[in-house]
Amino acid sequence: MQPALRASDISKSFGAVHALDRARLTVERGEIHALLGANGCGKSTLCKIIAGTVGLDAGEVLIDGQLAALGSPNLAEEQGVALFYQELSLVPQLSLGENIFLGREPRDRLGFTDRAAIQRQTEALIDRVAAVAGKGFRPDARVSDLSPDQRQLAEILKVLARKPKIIIFDEATATLDRRQVEVFFDILRELKAEGVSSIFISHRMDEVFAIADRITVMRNGATVAEFAAAETDRYAVVYAMVGETGAIAASVRDHKPLEGDTRLVVKDARAARLGPVSFTAQRGEILGLGGLHGQGQKALLAGLFGAEPFQGGSVSLDGVDVTARRPADAMARRIAYVSGDRGRDSALPGRSILENTAIASLVRERRHVVPGAVFRERFTEVLAGLNTRYAGLDAPIGSLSGGNQQKVFISRWLSPAPGLLLLDDPTKGIDLGAKGDFYLLARKLADEGATVIIYSSEDSELLSLCDRVLVLNGGAITADLVGDRLTPFELTRASYGDAA
Amino acid sequence: MSRFVDLAKNPLLISSVAILALLIIGELVSPGFARGDQIVRLLTVSAILGIAAAGQNLVILGGREGIDLSIGAVISLGAVIAGNVMSGSDAAIPLAFAAACCAGFLIGLVNGLGVTYLRIPPLVMTLGMMGVIQGGLVVLSRGVPSGNAAPALMAFVNRSAFLGIPGILFVWAAIIVLMALMLKRTRFGWSIYAVGSNENAAILTGLPARRIRVLLYGLAGLFGGFTGVCVIGYTGNSFISVGDQYVLPSVIAVVIGGTSLAGGAGSYTGTALGAIALVLLQSVLTTLNLEFWGRQVIFGGTLLLLMLLYGRQARLRV
Repeated sequence: MQPALRASDISKSFGAVHALDRARLTVERGEIHALLGANGCGKSTLCKIIAGTVGLDAGEVLIDGQLAALGSPNLAEEQGVALFYQELSLVPQLSLGENIFLGREPRDRLGFTDRAAIQRQTEALIDRVAAVAGKGFRPDARVSDLSPDQRQLAEILKVLARKPKIIIFDEATATLDRRQVEVFFDILRELKAEGVSSIFISHRMDEVFAIADRITVMRNGATVAEFAAAETDRYAVVYAMVGETGAIAASVRDHKPLEGDTRLVVKDARAARLGPVSFTAQRGEILGLGGLHGQGQKALLAGLFGAEPFQGGSVSLDGVDVTARRPADAMARRIAYVSGDRGRDSALPGRSILENTAIASLVRERRHVVPGAVFRERFTEVLAGLNTRYAGLDAPIGSLSGGNQQKVFISRWLSPAPGLLLLDDPTKGIDLGAKGDFYLLARKLADEGATVIIYSSEDSELLSLCDRVLVLNGGAITADLVGDRLTPFELTRASYGDAA
Repeated sequence: MSRFVDLAKNPLLISSVAILALLIIGELVSPGFARGDQIVRLLTVSAILGIAAAGQNLVILGGREGIDLSIGAVISLGAVIAGNVMSGSDAAIPLAFAAACCAGFLIGLVNGLGVTYLRIPPLVMTLGMMGVIQGGLVVLSRGVPSGNAAPALMAFVNRSAFLGIPGILFVWAAIIVLMALMLKRTRFGWSIYAVGSNENAAILTGLPARRIRVLLYGLAGLFGGFTGVCVIGYTGNSFISVGDQYVLPSVIAVVIGGTSLAGGAGSYTGTALGAIALVLLQSVLTTLNLEFWGRQVIFGGTLLLLMLLYGRQARLRV
């Protein structure tokens, strides 16, 4: 019998980046298939290609043995492929039923929307999840009135209503609690019994082994291993995700021994989809936040800076309470924050380089009048120290390359030097030279007594830069890796929620 | 070539060239148009528009589609308040300024609070406020003009104070200098540009973006109230729609002066030149005996043309 899906030799580049290089994936009929890999391994891109939301450069996809035409999500859907959206795709103003049948509403004889049919069919769908749906999960309930979990369920029903042959679940269980996950798994098993195949991307190893029949592992855009779940174990899977380098237990990095005082104490910090988490950090330490995308790392950094204040818990720095309600509070305590999303969080487009660097100094030093000459001298020096290439302080920020822009944004916080530097994926999209300058700067600041906390979407960056890495999974710290245990293997394993 | 294009896109230069060209056209059509006393007259009218446009300039710089359509009604309110406070008495002039500016400032704060905290779009918020003030004025005054300007105020606006130049022009010059200093050399000025350019980034550098935006609307109201007093000084007495004619021109002056309607870029110096260019244009059109509606068409057309000219600025590379 033909497999339900066979994707072979799929290649895809985004500019100079090879997201996929001859990747392959085979999913049998009625199979639950887990697709695993570290950040940036290409698993999401592969799924998007199969679901038609991203085009492919080379390769072919067969569905039930037939060459599939996958130009658009609609085409993919016609051929029985449905994608469960990680980011919610519901229209809040419409009812549950209207959302589920949006764009494919049943019609009555006159061509009007058949509301009774929507009601009936939605009720039938809701029956499948009745055990966990909670109060008010009715066909006519407005989506804006539903709780976040219920919306996630609605998303699942929306996919089921299309009666697909293959469903791709990208992080479908991310926001579900344990009981809801059980129900979700029941649904998956029921689908399996009906002959529907599922491709399941998860960040929890427990879930993968609880539900998956087979596992495909990707690394650096290529498919590196396929396992039958019953015939393998977690180590083999993690090993495949990490590759040969993972075999080297202790790395050759020269980690500074951790000494000095505990500087930062975080207790029970909570935010939406985070925690409570508790940890400490030393003076002079570069502490990494690891794990797959979106496991609470950004929420932790934004909370420490007061950009999105914690909902509970406490933070103290050098024995002083620094729980920030807003960024200005954190800045007054010499806490600095640099985001990797420069366009959204850092750039003042249309303004000069001087304004882009000096604006934070005005706030910190409580100056009402701009000391032009002082700032010019100060920031010329700071920018030169970072090897920044720019035409002049009065040139607009947009005239710089991404790497040089990021140097301008970090220079905001260097004079005086910060006590706690928070870096949120700071080297995203910048050139290698600038990355190198960035690492040197982080190390120098730490050596001068700062504490640096960095989230990076690149594991290699954490492994080469950090003294210690906290790994987050589903908003909780699953591992505290230091010394011999700070290896690609342990990092990847903990990323999947598998504590040692 | 690119330097030429840059120069051709410099709003200060465009405004200056437009002012010169309009003066020449005016002189050609009607000899005496560009005479000294005529120019002083035109500058006086420009000053009143320019002061109103200062407030408009601030809210537009602050971004988030900032605009104050209630400015005309606030000017009317300021004029009515000032007229009633003064009732022709010179001694009450300071009080008239204070009362009109306070009223304008408070109304502006309400605009700012609505826009910032209730997230009402500025266009809707200030349009609604315009209706409220206009209605209120009709109710309070029963539609009858009341109050009149003190003689010293009229002299301040209309008659020479020094070397043939009326006092209001000195005041306007001072506002131009102060606004330039404020925008270029103070934290508040830098904060306005930062909030207008990227509010999220501004907040992440510790700026109180919401308070700044509320204050900008407050200042716009304050400038409106101040303008109202100048208007009654110019005309002698007030009627309840005296400020309406300033709404669209105050926006156009800001745009001519090169301030981006998206916020975060521009200068008041440009707006001041824009106000002069606009008054000259108005004057030339009047000299050409163009009727009111014809002038409206040209005004609106100018605004749209300028949006085309300035609107296509290179986007930031990030």
